[in-house]
Amino acid sequence: MSKPSGVYDNAATGDTSFRRTWNREEYAQKAAERQAREASERKERYEAKMAGKKYIPKVEVGGEGEKKFDDSKMIEARRDRIRLDENLNKVQIVPLGSTGGRRGKGPGYYCEACDLNFTNSLEYVEHLNSKQHLLATGQTDTVERATLDMVKERLAWLKQKKREQDQAEEFDLAKRLAERHKIEEQERSQRKERKKVKKEEARQKKMQEGSIVHSDGLQADHGQDYAMMARMMGFGGFGSTKAQ
Amino acid sequence: MSKTADLPDAKAMLDTRGLYDGPTIHSMNPLLLMEKIIRERIIDSLFWKEQAWGLNAATLLDRAVELSYIGGQYANQRPTAFICLVLKLLQLNPEREIILEYIQDEDFKYVYPLTALPYRYAFIQIYGGSEEVKDGGSSANGLHRYLRALAAFYIRLAWPAAEVYKTLEPLMRDYRKLRLRTQSGYRLTYVDEFIDELLTKERVCDIALPRMPTRTQLEDLDELEPREPLVSDVDSDEEGEGEGEEGEVEGAGSTDEQA
Ligand SMILES: [Zn+2]
Repeated sequence: MSKPSGVYDNAATGDTSFRRTWNREEYAQKAAERQAREASERKERYEAKMAGKKYIPKVEVGGEGEKKFDDSKMIEARRDRIRLDENLNKVQIVPLGSTGGRRGKGPGYYCEACDLNFTNSLEYVEHLNSKQHLLATGQTDTVERATLDMVKERLAWLKQKKREQDQAEEFDLAKRLAERHKIEEQERSQRKERKKVKKEEARQKKMQEGSIVHSDGLQADHGQDYAMMARMMGFGGFGSTKAQ
Repeated sequence: MSKTADLPDAKAMLDTRGLYDGPTIHSMNPLLLMEKIIRERIIDSLFWKEQAWGLNAATLLDRAVELSYIGGQYANQRPTAFICLVLKLLQLNPEREIILEYIQDEDFKYVYPLTALPYRYAFIQIYGGSEEVKDGGSSANGLHRYLRALAAFYIRLAWPAAEVYKTLEPLMRDYRKLRLRTQSGYRLTYVDEFIDELLTKERVCDIALPRMPTRTQLEDLDELEPREPLVSDVDSDEEGEGEGEEGEVEGAGSTDEQA
C-alpha cells in the first residue's frame, strides 16, 4: 500500500489484476528448489553416463526415480470439459503486446499452479497437458493402464448411469405431460366458464335490446295511434293547428 | 507381458527419431497405420488435446458412449471425434479381451432372435423400423452401437486378417442405424453396412485400410473355415432352424405370419 498509486490503481475500475506482482521470497524459494532439482538431475545424468546407461528422467515411471515421487499421482482422464468459455463476453483490459505463456494473472486463461497466463484456449489446453504443468500439480506424465476388469466395471457403470438418466427423463416427461394436462384442463374449464358468462351476458343484452326495440316500437306505435286518433277526432295536432 | 502405464498422448510414440521400440501392429508403430496428414489433423485438434488426452481403455468408454456419429473428416477437413478415438485406440493398443468387451453387446444379444432375420426389410416391416422396438425396449442399448462401430474399425486396422473376418462377420447381424458424418453432411447407414464396408472396401471414414487378403484366399490357405451362413439362405425354409448359437426361434417363427 506504500506503492505510489498509478493510473491503473484506480479503485473505481479495480481491474489491476493483470499487473505483475512480485513475491520475491516465493521466487527465491522456487529458484532454490529448481537449482537443487537440476543439480540432482545433472548428477544422475552423469552417473548414468559413467555406468554406460541411458539417463531416464525421474518423471518417467520406472527405475529408482519413481521412489522420489511417491506422492505424485498418475494422470486421470478429464471428467468434464475444460471451461474454455468462462470469460466469454466479459470485458477485460488487455495489456498491450500480451502473448501466451506470460507470468502472472492476466486476461484469458490463467493457470494457478504455474502462475502462467494464456490468451488462447488451445495454448491453455496444451499447457495443462505439458510436463511442466503435470510436475507442478504433482502428477506423473503417465496414465494408469486399464485392465479388463476396469473396462467391464466402467461399462456397467455407464449403462447404469444411462438407465437412470433415461428413467429420470421418462419421469420428467410424464410429469410434464401431467402438468400440461392439468393446465389444459384448467384452460378448458376457464374457457367453458368464460363462454358461459359471455352467453349469459349476450342473453341479457339481447333481452335488454329486445325490450328497447320493443319500447321504441311501442312509442312509435303510440305516436302513430295518437296522430290517427287526432285526425279521426278532427284536429291535426297540438299546437300545429294554428299554422295551418 | 503387458505395460502398466499408458501415455497421455501420442507425442512420445511419434517423436522417436526413427528409433521406435514400442509395441507394434503389423510390425510397425501403430500410429503410423493412419496416414500422416489425417493423423496430424487429429493430433492438432482440440478434441484430441482436451478430451482424448489422458484416457485409458476404461475411461475411453466415457467418450465412446457420447459419440453420435461415425465418420472421418467433416466440414473443412476437421477430424470427427470418432476418428480421434480410433487413433487413441491405436495409441493405447488395448488387449484383445478388452476390444472384445467393446464389441460385445449384452442388451443387443437379448434381441438377437429378432435380428436374426434374413433381411433388414423384413426386420423393418415387422418392427416398423422404430428405434425403440429395435433396441428391444432397452434404452441403455443405444449406448453401444457407436462403441461397437469404433471397436470394429480398430479391429480392422489392427488385427490379423483371419481374426478380422472371424470377429467382424457376426456383427453383420446388427441392423441398427448409425449416423455417418461426411464433408457434405450427414448420411444414414447401419452397423451391418458399415461392417461390410470394413471387410470389402479399401478406404472407410477417410482412412486407407491395411491390405487384407480376401476371405476366399484365406480359406484356401486354411486360415479360415468356410463361412457359416449368417442366417438361413433366402430360399431355404426358416421354420425351426434358428441357425446357430443365438437360436431362439420365436422371433423368426413369427416372421412369416406377419410379413
Ligand atoms: Zn500449469
